Amino acid sequence: MRWRVVMTSAVTLLAVVTVVFALPRAMPGDPLAALQDRSTATPISPEASAHLRSYYRLDRPLGSQYGHYLSRLARGDLGWSISRNVPVRTLVAAHLPWTLLLLGTSMAVAAATSFLAGVAAAWRRGRPLDRGLLATMTALRALPPYALAAFLLVVLAVLLPVFPLAGARTPFAAYGSPLGAVGDVGRHLVLPAAALGLSLLSTRFLLVRNTMVSSLGQDYMVLGRAKGLPPRLLKYRHGGRNALLPFVASLGVEAGFGVGFSILVESVFAYPGMGTLILRAVETRDYPVLEGAFLALALTVLSVNAAAELVMRRLDPRVAGR
Amino acid sequence: MTVVTAVGSRPLRPRRPTVPRIGWIGTAILGGFAALAVAAPLLAPYRATALSGRPLEPPSLAHLVGTNAVGQDLFTQLLSGVRAAMFVAVVAGSGAALLGGSIGVLAGWWGGGVDLVVMRAADVLLVIPRLPLLIVIVAYAGPGLGTRSTVIALTFWPEAAKVLRAQVRSLRHRDHLTAATGFGAGPSHSLRRHVVPEVGLVLASALVAAAGRAVMLEVGLAFLGLGDPNQASWGSIVRDALKFQGLFFTRAWAWWLLPPLLATGLLLAGITFIGLAAERWVNPRLARHVSGGRP
Amino acid sequence: MSPSPHDQDTLRPNRSGANLEVTDLRVTYPGPPPVRAVDELSFTAGAGECLGILGESGSGKSTLARALLGLVPDGRVEGRVGLGGVDLLDLDEKAWQEVRWRRIALSFQSTAALNPVLRVGLQMGEPSQVHLGLNSRQAAARTNELLEQVGLGPWAADRYPSELSGGQRRLVLLAMALVCDPEVLILDEPTAGLDPLTRRLVMDLLIGLVARRSTTMLVISHDADALEVLAARVMVLYRGWLAEVGPTPPVLTDPRSPYTWALLNARPTLASVKDLRGIRGDPPDPTEVTTGCPFFGRCHQGITDDCTSARPTLGPPEGEDGPRLVACARGGVVTLLSAVGLRKSYSVSAGGLRRSEVPGVDGVSLDVRLGEVVGLVGATGAGKSTLGMLLLRLVEPDSGSLRFDGQDLLAARGTPLKALRAQAQMLFQDPFEALSARLTVADAVQEPLDVQDRGDAASRHELVRATLAACRLPHDDAFLHRHTHQLSGGQLQRVALARALVLEPKLLVADEAVAMLDPSEQAKLLQLLKQLQVERGMAMVFISHDLSVVLRIADRVMILDRGRVVEEATGSRLLAAPAHPVTQALLAAAGRDLLFPPPVATFASSSPSGEARGIARPTEGLGPGTGSDPYHELLQPGGTQ
Repeated sequence: MRWRVVMTSAVTLLAVVTVVFALPRAMPGDPLAALQDRSTATPISPEASAHLRSYYRLDRPLGSQYGHYLSRLARGDLGWSISRNVPVRTLVAAHLPWTLLLLGTSMAVAAATSFLAGVAAAWRRGRPLDRGLLATMTALRALPPYALAAFLLVVLAVLLPVFPLAGARTPFAAYGSPLGAVGDVGRHLVLPAAALGLSLLSTRFLLVRNTMVSSLGQDYMVLGRAKGLPPRLLKYRHGGRNALLPFVASLGVEAGFGVGFSILVESVFAYPGMGTLILRAVETRDYPVLEGAFLALALTVLSVNAAAELVMRRLDPRVAGR
Repeated sequence: MTVVTAVGSRPLRPRRPTVPRIGWIGTAILGGFAALAVAAPLLAPYRATALSGRPLEPPSLAHLVGTNAVGQDLFTQLLSGVRAAMFVAVVAGSGAALLGGSIGVLAGWWGGGVDLVVMRAADVLLVIPRLPLLIVIVAYAGPGLGTRSTVIALTFWPEAAKVLRAQVRSLRHRDHLTAATGFGAGPSHSLRRHVVPEVGLVLASALVAAAGRAVMLEVGLAFLGLGDPNQASWGSIVRDALKFQGLFFTRAWAWWLLPPLLATGLLLAGITFIGLAAERWVNPRLARHVSGGRP
Repeated sequence: MSPSPHDQDTLRPNRSGANLEVTDLRVTYPGPPPVRAVDELSFTAGAGECLGILGESGSGKSTLARALLGLVPDGRVEGRVGLGGVDLLDLDEKAWQEVRWRRIALSFQSTAALNPVLRVGLQMGEPSQVHLGLNSRQAAARTNELLEQVGLGPWAADRYPSELSGGQRRLVLLAMALVCDPEVLILDEPTAGLDPLTRRLVMDLLIGLVARRSTTMLVISHDADALEVLAARVMVLYRGWLAEVGPTPPVLTDPRSPYTWALLNARPTLASVKDLRGIRGDPPDPTEVTTGCPFFGRCHQGITDDCTSARPTLGPPEGEDGPRLVACARGGVVTLLSAVGLRKSYSVSAGGLRRSEVPGVDGVSLDVRLGEVVGLVGATGAGKSTLGMLLLRLVEPDSGSLRFDGQDLLAARGTPLKALRAQAQMLFQDPFEALSARLTVADAVQEPLDVQDRGDAASRHELVRATLAACRLPHDDAFLHRHTHQLSGGQLQRVALARALVLEPKLLVADEAVAMLDPSEQAKLLQLLKQLQVERGMAMVFISHDLSVVLRIADRVMILDRGRVVEEATGSRLLAAPAHPVTQALLAAAGRDLLFPPPVATFASSSPSGEARGIARPTEGLGPGTGSDPYHELLQPGGTQ
């Protein structure tokens, strides 16, 4: 029942959107006053204030505000950036692709590595390989992503200047060929993707390893061995296939974490993705940008989650059935 | 270890596993940090924001960890970070675990509609990117430590809820609970006598996990600039360090950037160790396994 | 060129199954504490033969099955497993992979052995692709072929295991084991938990396999009835140790190992009228290591020293020299009492001075084994009581021999006779007569101890109390000082029982012991007798005219008529199809006709154990019912489950 997945995602999205709607209005006192943060020294200009007022339609009743808000979102209008004086949509369109690139690469690398490592570790449970990997992964899990990023930065960009320090591209560079552009982007992508990938890797590895271990203890593994099947078949077709299910099922959650971690990593490497956008918006208390960016990220994650669930339905015979 | 037992033969008494060594190491680390947090006001030589030395001084007797670009004592700031981290670990961690735990227990016990609604809510929270959500909420609500802890507790309850719900659900229909109902026991009696003791261990392990998560989040938020401006946190120290343009042209990164990172790693390691020990103690797995190797 | 799945000869070069020789197999799990799951097991299964393995849970049969495929990774396996001459335990993992399934396959019991995320067809096809080099199309063809053979069909190949019923999954596991047409096939509980229809199907399939003799089969089961049909030879396992091995009919119908005997007595069957008698004691603790016989603690005839000093080795049982072997320090179930050709006649006045001889007992031979209950049934005057007295030599026979506990009871005199007497006691019909009215309870029960001069006063007193307690009587001073006329019939009979038991005899003869009691007291006494008999491992001869009472309690029943044994069988067989008219009359008197319509038959002869025409004796075991009694098949042991 595929539409069920879509329905659930739509309901979730609506919930998220409503929370974003409610937040500024839930703050005590004049919402506009809440928008003026006590810590920032810069006051909001009357012009910006007027913009905000019309944007939030604070003079209208709540229901009408909500209706207007939803219709605005449906048209793809994410509001107007106070600090940069452009539609939020434009900013998001400029920054989101970089985050998607970073996130996509990291998740792919993390998925492949963690699956192979998890299967291998579980197969040799208790032996040096397993213990070593477990220890390493546990240690990785204990490090905040920005710490990992900082370490990588220090080691591979400062002490040994192998990779660039910051950014997604060399500024003002001219490329001889599209390959050159790809290469440049790639070089800048390595460290951030490595940092993000490593932070995601540990939980994925543990999931695969533990599911695989419990798979290996099942009767069907004994039967598989009794049938004289080579280890390769046992590991991947019988054990791995079972471990694949929870792995795919949790992709949505992983994307959720990934998006959060990417903000931290982007900050360390000054990578021009959504993280940078959000942080700048926080500094200037540019609320429309914050909200818009958050919605864009939420939508991304929900899409990944929906896609993962659909794939799950194909993979899991208990659901796939005739 | 597989034992040749089956239905009908006397079961061997399961060996109660001892607490693994790793648990003691974790407790020691955590204990150390807790002591530091309590003793911080006595230990700090200066006020955190005071310009007590020359900028970028290397570590010395006067400044144990050196100073930052403005001349503030880093040791004091680190101590302040200990307090912040421990505060959040305790408040936000237990908040998330207890809130999630209670929700999970009730959902598991009542089942039906309540369970469905609660689980949907939990699933929604788990999927949406929570760090960005936190950022947005904190941007509105203010950066105080208390505020941040509360918000963390309110957004990170699903993990504990799911674990406890699963536990309660498996207990719910055990025969000894049905028997208690047969004696005329109401839900409060059954919950108290039978469910709570069993879930205690699981709750403890969820609590440890939540504490670890909370520390990571607090430090992360501070790193992003959403920290309390009046209280230095390890995250904010790292942020200040990375913001300083010439950081890597001097050797100052060694005493400015590294110590807060290491401190964070150490505290989280301690919490993780305790978590691992708790997990191993609660779940002795007697699984045999097929593996490559001798027949 | 890859072999086609229909090319039977290339599937296996040797079409007749391989010879399996297991020598001194030991499987130990390290623990701690270490567990010896299989204990110095040696056996052989000839090429194409079907060998049954009977055992309860914890007997090590599953471990054995796994060990034969080298699937005991966390245990230490020692010994030799010879498959067609090759020692399998010498093989390394790579070599094992070649042997497994191709030469020796195992049909699993647990349906969790099917991987839930893979289709059945894929799982079944794997071994043929790996071992026989078939491509996927050929493998699918072979899979379909086998699915048809087990009564499913090609449709099953597309399903996931969760889409099949439990019985269907078992059939898949069986079919999967046959995929590579192995030389040796091990079946782990093939019929356990199956509904009657599926069970019939599986049995038919297995019978066909056995008949073809193309595979050597090992059938592991706790279901003795299935083994009766399938296996030519059967071995009995207890705690990983071989208790008895031999051709199936004698082992399963006339077991000589104390364990097999106890095990077979414990199984309920539809026709069982006898109350269940469990094996006393608790199932074994697998971590205990014993030096002597592993069954010693629960055996009804165990003797310290003989049975505990060393492991008993396999050998023919006492009095037999056939192919059957038992491992018992005492040579198998011990025959306690052996009477041959006992005769006793009374002279009765036949008018005037003439006297004629009335045969009381006319040439009766019987054996009583330690721990068993033999029922003697007959109408009044059939000679039952005389026989009872003869067995204890309370009356001298005219001719015949009588051996008790290995000694000639008739030749014994003096001290030896007194000692022998202590080991066999009688319980009489009328307790008021059997106990002196002048004695108190304590005196009466203590009398045998005084006569035999056992222990001192204090210990005798203690023993009296203990025995009274065992007979569920009060044992306080007040009761002990009561006189017999103050007690009720039921209580008094129990006092008499206590008196009989205080010497801890090996044999108890109960002569109409419950006839004079109220039904309620009867029931209680019967229950008590049975319980004590099992606990103490006592043999009992239970004499009665009431067949329905005897059927509840006896392992074997002998029907007496005019001093001769006319029929002898187990209670269930007598009930299902009595042969002799006397038996039928007794059954009718007991109300059998109300339960079962009388068999449609004519019986021409009244020869003692003659096979009356038209009624088939149910001695062949399973098989389509040959009797015309519509309940005949129902009452076959195991019948339709």
